[in-house]
Parts: sequence; structure tokens; C-alpha cells
Amino acid sequence: MVAEIEPSNIEKSFLLESLQKGIRVDGRGIYDYRTLKIICGPEVGLVEVQLGQTRVLARVSCEVTRPFPDRPTEGIVQFNAELSSLCAPGFDSTGKPSAQEVAITRMLERVIRQSRAVDTEALCILAGEKVWTVRIDVHFLDHGGNLVDAASIAAIAALRHFRRPDVTVDGEEAIIHDVRERNPVPLSIHHTPICVSFGFFGDGGMVVLDPNLLEEQTQASSFTITLNSHQEICAMNKAGGIPLDSKQIHRCIQIALAKVDEINEKIKEAL
Amino acid sequence: MTRPDRRETSQIRALHCALGQLNRADGSAQFSAGNTSVICGIYGPVDVKLYDEKLDRAHIEVKFRPDIGVPMTKDKWNESAIRSTFEREIIGQMHPRTLVQINIQVRQNDGSVDAAAINATTLALVDAGIPLRSMVAAATCAVCANGNIVIDPTQEEISKAQSTHTFGFSNQQTDSPAYVDSRGDFTMDQYNSCYDMCATATERIFAFMRSAIESKVSKESLNEA
Repeated sequence: MVAEIEPSNIEKSFLLESLQKGIRVDGRGIYDYRTLKIICGPEVGLVEVQLGQTRVLARVSCEVTRPFPDRPTEGIVQFNAELSSLCAPGFDSTGKPSAQEVAITRMLERVIRQSRAVDTEALCILAGEKVWTVRIDVHFLDHGGNLVDAASIAAIAALRHFRRPDVTVDGEEAIIHDVRERNPVPLSIHHTPICVSFGFFGDGGMVVLDPNLLEEQTQASSFTITLNSHQEICAMNKAGGIPLDSKQIHRCIQIALAKVDEINEKIKEAL
Repeated sequence: MTRPDRRETSQIRALHCALGQLNRADGSAQFSAGNTSVICGIYGPVDVKLYDEKLDRAHIEVKFRPDIGVPMTKDKWNESAIRSTFEREIIGQMHPRTLVQINIQVRQNDGSVDAAAINATTLALVDAGIPLRSMVAAATCAVCANGNIVIDPTQEEISKAQSTHTFGFSNQQTDSPAYVDSRGDFTMDQYNSCYDMCATATERIFAFMRSAIESKVSKESLNEA
């Protein structure tokens, strides 16, 4: 099947001309986020995020496994995100992953796993014997641009929504309580990193927040910044594209700080 | 005998569906029975890879993705079973040298997921406007350890069941099934009663599908007027 069709020149030049007047093709202001909808449940750890036309489903599950021998007291966080052929025509999950897919999944893995958002030591049941493996599956349902932001919101919301079965340890014995027997417990989460993406156009002078699909295909460079609710930077990503002014980056960080607060409020509301 | 969720033995779970939710797909449907929920997106007729190209009909491809983990052997098995079921129903001769891609994503698995996948696929194909000979609906039965037969079992019931049976029927030809999947050990009598129970349940599912499609079409024609 053919890969994504590039937008036509006339579409691209229309987008750029409007942007020079400060107008975006979908009528948003340049620093406006699309409508964000977060739907939790019905099961714990199942969260669907709708960001404009983009839809992402995150599913968190857990099981008891043996820990890695070099880290006997730490639980394991597994992460799985693949661009399936469902979200856009031409994506193929069977063959070699595309550059775009690698970029998105690496970014998410950095945000969720390597920023140590989940307290892995709290996932230990019996040191060296049994730990919880928490698995995060991110399914992309609809590609309307800016998958990274939507996926990071979905993954974090799902981790906070998730409850694992309670465990009591008695010496060498561990009892895992059925969810009907004892209330399941939430995961211990250090912080909630959230991605905010920008798209740059022309020679880098024009910038938009939360680019949609057409903007994403036209942009000269992209920049993703990951912040948590304590206003700390967890990750930054500017992969290729045109060189940017460092002042631009500072301005983007200021805007991202305000947006992350708004998104965190939305997640709190949805939970 | 009561079931864990206090249903009657011949009572299916509450059905829910939404058509055309996805923007990129040419047609899509989400089908839920209780907590089991499946979303299906169709791309088609679209460009086909050279080695899949068929001169006289459309090539049909099915992708099945589980809710947890990466696709495994049993998901590949589901793909081929669903493909052979719908290859008979889709009038591929109308779109030769093209591809119809069926993407199935499980949202939540609480038993009877293969039946839900078939129902979602039928609705999504109708939503995409792919020419069909008939519609297919499926239901699952489980034979419990005590010999009782229950329809539309949950994951908990399936894990304790002696055997499970899924039957799919086309709405044009109700005397023979379009899809059969039986697992576990069972007697011929049990098989026949499961067959009858599923046939009755699919009639209800057909009525539900019909009302869902009717309400969507009437909404669309109102918007156009």
C-alpha cells in the first residue's frame, strides 16, 4: 500500500501565506491547543485521549515476574507503542519500522520510562524473587497530527488511573489479594511528564503549538519539550530540520509551562 | 445456577456501537458487549502491493491487534479466520486490483472477543460502503464445568469453561454458519445446543446492527437536506 501522500504545493503555500498573517488553517490561534478530551475506563488503566482528530488509546496492565538479576529490588516497566495500519493508510507494523515510528516511540520511551516517572522500587514484592512488571501499551487509533503529545498524555493518565492488586508479604510468603477481596492500590508515581510540541515554518520565524497533520507535513522543523507539574524539564527533542534561534526555544519553554499546567488540570478532572 | 454477573443463561450483555468515529479510516465501527470492546477501521478500496494484486477481485487483508502486548500466533489465527469469513461476503469483483484492509484493535478483552471482532468488522464494512453480499454477526457460547450452557461468556466464565463455541451467521443464509470455532471437549448434543443458542443471539445482534445503521443513515440524510 502506498505510504502517506504528501500535501500538494498549493496546500502548503496556502498554509504558509495564512500563517504569515497569523492565521492557521483550522482557525486556531498560533498558541492554541486543540480540544483535548480524556476518557477513562471502564476498566482501570484504560484511557483514551482525543486531541482534535488524533486519537490514542493507552492500556496499562501488570503481572508478577522475576526481577532482572542486576536490579533485584526494582520492578520492571515495559513499554510498547507501534504505529499500526489503523491510524493512517500505509503504516505497516510487520516490516521494518519507519523513521517516523522510531522517532515517536523513542521519544515516548524517554518520557515515560527513562524519566523514571514510575517508582520501580515500590513494585518490588520479594527482593530477587518476585516483582511487578507494569506494561504500557499505546495504541494509535487515528492520526491527525501530533501523536507524541496525545500519546504522552494518554500514557500518564493511564498510569495514574491504573490500580494493581494489593499484596501482603509474610516472611518468604507473598499473598496477592483478589480485587474483590481487598481494594487494589494505585501505582506510586514520582511526577507526570507531559510533551508539548511546536512546529516551525519558513526560516524558523513562524511557530505554532500543537501542529495538526497538514502543519506537521509542511513544517521545516519540530521541537518537543517535556515538562512535569513541578515545572521541571524532563526531555527535549529537536530532531533535524532547520536551525533555530535559542531565543525561540526560551519562548517555547515559557508557553509550554503554561500549557502543561492546563493539561495537568484536565487529567486531574478526568480521573 | 447464577452467573457471576447475574445474567440469565441465554441473556447477552448490553450492546453498544458507534459508527464512523475515526477520521482517517474510510469506515470504522466500535462494537462493545458489556466490557468487551473492539474498534475496527477499514481502508478500501486502495492501492495494492504488486505481489498481492489480484486481476479479477480485491485483495483482502486483516490486521488483528490485541489490547495487551504485541500480536501473537493466536492473533494471526484470528486474522486468517476473519479474512476467510469476509472474503465470501465482500463482493471483491467490483473492485479488481485493489486492497481492502481491515484493521481490528481490541480495546478491552472480557471474553467473546472474536465474536465482537466479527460484529465490529461487519459494521465497519457497511460504514465504509464496501459492497457486501450479506452481513455477518457472531456470538459465543460456553459449556460450563457443570454442563450448563451460557451465552456471551465473560473472561471469568471462559477460564472455567469446559468448551467454548463461536458461531457466525450471514443474514442471507441462516441455515448454515459462516464462521465456526470450537475449543475444548464437548459432546455432539452440547455442540447442537450451542449452535441453536448462538443462532438466536445473532438474530438479536442483527436487529441491533440494523437499528444502528438506520439511525446513522437517517442522521446523515437529515444533514444533507
